[in-house]
Amino acid sequence: MASIPLLVPLTYITLLIGALYTFSKVYRKRTVARIAKLERWFPAHPERDTYISLLQLSPPPSEVLLKAALLRRAAADVQRIISLRDDKTALQALLQKGSIDDDLWNAFTAAEKELEAEIVEVVNEANSFREGWGQFIFASASEVVNNVKQRDMVMAIPKLRAEAEAKYGAPKAPKLKAITPAVAVHSPPEEPKPKNVSPISLNDRLTPARSPSPLATNGSSAPSSIATMTPPPSIKTELNGYSNSSAGTSPSPSVNGDVTGSPRAKSKTPGSASKARKRK
Amino acid sequence: MSSEGHGHTHDGSEGPGHTHGPPPGMGPPPPPPTIDPFYQAAIDEQFNPVPVTFSPEQNDMAVCQEHKKVVCEDCGLDFHELNIFTKMIAASNPIAVPAPPNVVHPGRSQAVQKAKEEGNAAYKAKNWGLAIQHYNMSANIALSRNPWEPAALMRDEMAIIICNRSATFAAAEDYISALVDADVVIQLKRPWSKGHFRKAKALLGLGRLEEARDAVMLGLQFEPDSAEMLAFKKEIEDGIEKQQEAARSPIISSSATMA
Repeated sequence: MASIPLLVPLTYITLLIGALYTFSKVYRKRTVARIAKLERWFPAHPERDTYISLLQLSPPPSEVLLKAALLRRAAADVQRIISLRDDKTALQALLQKGSIDDDLWNAFTAAEKELEAEIVEVVNEANSFREGWGQFIFASASEVVNNVKQRDMVMAIPKLRAEAEAKYGAPKAPKLKAITPAVAVHSPPEEPKPKNVSPISLNDRLTPARSPSPLATNGSSAPSSIATMTPPPSIKTELNGYSNSSAGTSPSPSVNGDVTGSPRAKSKTPGSASKARKRK
Repeated sequence: MSSEGHGHTHDGSEGPGHTHGPPPGMGPPPPPPTIDPFYQAAIDEQFNPVPVTFSPEQNDMAVCQEHKKVVCEDCGLDFHELNIFTKMIAASNPIAVPAPPNVVHPGRSQAVQKAKEEGNAAYKAKNWGLAIQHYNMSANIALSRNPWEPAALMRDEMAIIICNRSATFAAAEDYISALVDADVVIQLKRPWSKGHFRKAKALLGLGRLEEARDAVMLGLQFEPDSAEMLAFKKEIEDGIEKQQEAARSPIISSSATMA
């Protein structure tokens, strides 16, 4: 038998393993790139961006502000959960019928997984403020969503009234002085709607002439974002006494939260924001 | 791959008093859920910094960086609601963490009830303006509820208050406001027959009998046994009949003269 040098099998094994390794790396990179190229289901997450930007400020803002930002982020996530859940069954039916291609479904599943990661992150952040808050922050957030929806309904009364007057004609009886509906305690001035507010409705996604940078095109169908609370500026509260008593407290932020608060170390990457915080 | 699931670092920056162990008596805590690093990276990549800062002059409220405004049209930013939340959280309890939904301060509900009862008293006294004032006050208090408290509380309170206010408007013959209020009540609580009842009353006052009948029918779908609704429905139908007769009779009389 001719002697085969030892090098040959070794070279063979090396080449084999090298080829497999290279292939797996290239393949993974391609799948990652393919998934990354998928159009995002949700265009942007302004509440998350606000929260992380606040975390990155130095000197760090008050803890209460951060908690409020975190609560709003959780509320935005709850709205996304609801919208994904609503779209899921419809998408599945369409997928089975073959009316949509796989890319949309993949984008949807990617969005679901991303939302799960986001939820875990929010829970961790909440726990870093106060141990145990993460357990119920999402329960609180869903109540926030419902409360804001109801508040918007009531605040829309003057607009509805104007529409009704247009439809049915101005009232014959003299207007009672107290027509102004209840105004929220903190009636803001007329505000601009922030841009990436509501997620795109399923209908908009499925229309073929979809613009690549979808913005809020579906007004009423998506729940109004937390950020929009727009009563007309002409409302006057009749009862300022009540509004002042509950809104007038402008507490010094350093009192409550920062006794236990820890300075937020500046962190460049959002994901390590909670990790960079010192815990006392 | 970094340990993403861990809530804090161990880089020695924590003081010596920091322990990891669970309080005595508890078993080992469940491991914090880990985030898939791929999606973590996706989230990080999506991050779009928001030019926000806080201004010490304005009680440390969040403002836009350039113009130091809470609501800034040039930057397209609106931090008003964020600042409201901040105030509410700070004012709510000493620990300054929004309480879980099952923890509610009873004071607000009591104030709401009190104002509502004053409104009811004014209504009985037929003092419409005063009644509406009281209902507005009551609604104001109800709206000032902290947003993380159970939404059902605010919904129930608002539904009753706005329903009563609709009744007051109808009694004062301002049927348009009554209609608007009734619509809001239906939005808040669709299965509640009183909302539909009020809407029908308002429409009746406006002279829209068919729409009033539709509203009553919708309300009856939710509560088929309500005697009040059935009686009201009959009243409307009688009204419609009369209307149709009145529409027909001039034709009959005119055709009689023609023949």
